[in-house]
Amino acid sequence: MGHAQAGAVSRSSLGKKRKPLVQHIRDNAGILFVLPAVITFLVFGLYTVIYSVVLSFFRWNGFGKFSILPFACDPPACQFAGLDNFAYFLYKEPTMSGFFWQALQHNLIMAVVVTTGTVLIALPIAIALNRAGRGQTTYRLLIMLPMVTAGIAVYYVWSFIYEPDGLLNSVLKTLGLGFMQAKQGWLGQVDTALPALMVVMIWGAVPSATILYLAGLQTIDKDLYEASIIDGATPWQQLWQITWPLLLPVTVVIIITSINGVLQGYEMVYLMTYGGPAGHTEVVGLQIFKYGFGDQRQLGMASATSWALFVLVFAVAVVNLRLFRSRTEA
Amino acid sequence: MIKTKGAISKALSYIVLTLYALLSLYPFLWMISSALKSNKEVLSSTSLIPQEIRFDIILNTWNQLNFFKYFVNSVIIAALVVVGIILIYSMAGFGFARTKFIGSKVLFMAFLGLLFVPGVTVLVPLVQLLKALGLIGRDATLPQTYFGLIMPIINGAGPFSIFLFRNYFASLPSELHDAARVDGATNWGVFFRIFLPLATPIIATVGILNIIGTWSAYIWPSIVLNNPDWYTLPLKLKDLDLQIVIQWNVRMAASLITITPVIIAFLVLQRYYIRGLTAGAVRG
Repeated sequence: MGHAQAGAVSRSSLGKKRKPLVQHIRDNAGILFVLPAVITFLVFGLYTVIYSVVLSFFRWNGFGKFSILPFACDPPACQFAGLDNFAYFLYKEPTMSGFFWQALQHNLIMAVVVTTGTVLIALPIAIALNRAGRGQTTYRLLIMLPMVTAGIAVYYVWSFIYEPDGLLNSVLKTLGLGFMQAKQGWLGQVDTALPALMVVMIWGAVPSATILYLAGLQTIDKDLYEASIIDGATPWQQLWQITWPLLLPVTVVIIITSINGVLQGYEMVYLMTYGGPAGHTEVVGLQIFKYGFGDQRQLGMASATSWALFVLVFAVAVVNLRLFRSRTEA
Repeated sequence: MIKTKGAISKALSYIVLTLYALLSLYPFLWMISSALKSNKEVLSSTSLIPQEIRFDIILNTWNQLNFFKYFVNSVIIAALVVVGIILIYSMAGFGFARTKFIGSKVLFMAFLGLLFVPGVTVLVPLVQLLKALGLIGRDATLPQTYFGLIMPIINGAGPFSIFLFRNYFASLPSELHDAARVDGATNWGVFFRIFLPLATPIIATVGILNIIGTWSAYIWPSIVLNNPDWYTLPLKLKDLDLQIVIQWNVRMAASLITITPVIIAFLVLQRYYIRGLTAGAVRG
């Protein structure tokens, strides 16, 4: 990474021992370029993070006063809670901890199923795209559409498709598979709601994974395949002995991105089921949102739970970094 | 022998791609088709092709629900966010890549550290902050509310944008910089006259990534915007939930109106979007 050194010329000409103040200021003038970003970061980033850390040690319903600069916490609306918030949602308060562990379980199921599904679908499509020749650009475009249109509009269509009298049930009926219908709608039944959401998640995640795999495939030397053909390798062997190992770094990135997205994301669940039916699609992010903005606000609990989420996200990032290091060193 | 094999594998590829493209596009096709049907037909037919094409539903949705107003609101917010991000973080990227100052490395790491904090963690603190600054609530004006809405979005885009700009500026030959400085240009002159104009591709990448993200954002705007006149398209779309009898054709028409601008933006800036996506892989 080339650092072009502003002021390097003047520094050497002035000698190394003592520099006048003016020179100091001039040497560091580059900081002015990052100043707007730093101010934004301090106010909307660092301050809010510190606020959240402090708040996680308090019990506060949002009324009355709580602030960190200057510090204020007026009872009875606000009370110091120590580690109570953490203890409550982790084990001490059965309704809360039940709520939390159930949501976390859904997050983990999603992480495994959505990630696996995404990789298993995206890889063959990327391989097909790579072989498609002229049609590549068009197909790539068509396949990418779901990712640029994420959000409520697309969730509405899916909700519509999943309705009791929606497209999916109608199609099943037409195919003579009426017994497979979800009578109360795919998002309305406890046994189908989570899988139905995961289908939408995979549908939304496949495009970016495909693009990444395609970029990876394009860097693989074609000679490797030709050499392996001479050695009599079958396409299946080529896939397992050349393509898959060489694409492993890409797969790792896809896995990490996917897990990260599943852990942090809750907008889709918020808009499609709001955690229902009966908590069967509850996820940790949505729970934090409900503590913060739902009917019975417990803002300290929202903060405490969100730091549990942070630990998970951070752990995934550390694993990622480890893998990345061992990859580059190997 | 090898040639036929190649042809077979190519044909197979096209079959796989066509099947998946259909799956990928079907919800959109269904959305379009439903927006052109009567509400009765929407619920009774699984055919993509309407018996009678009804453009009046889209037109009525656009006119009666005042979608133009919300479309303009969405455009304003997306534009403010994107301009803010490009201005603030192109400068920062240049600062980190091309100038030297005390604490530069620590600051850069601090920015990247922000990537690990889940958005939902700072949601409550942000609302409290906006309250304390008078940027949210009944007394806040439109400019105040929009400012409060966009700044956290801009800040959220900070780490990745700085990363993209810094890498790009660092990759440009340092002779550019040196030559200009010999001619007596200040760092500011170098940035605005030489580096920023050269950064058009990365500006397009950062732009399209954030247009797409901001356009469909729901939760944060729904918290900040409490005056229905100031709503963005997704918020107005969600308001359709309040209909007593759900008219799915109207919902689909409204959904179609909401996603069309972002699809057009994507088609125009596709190349830059893909570049951002593959660069994002490094971010992990």
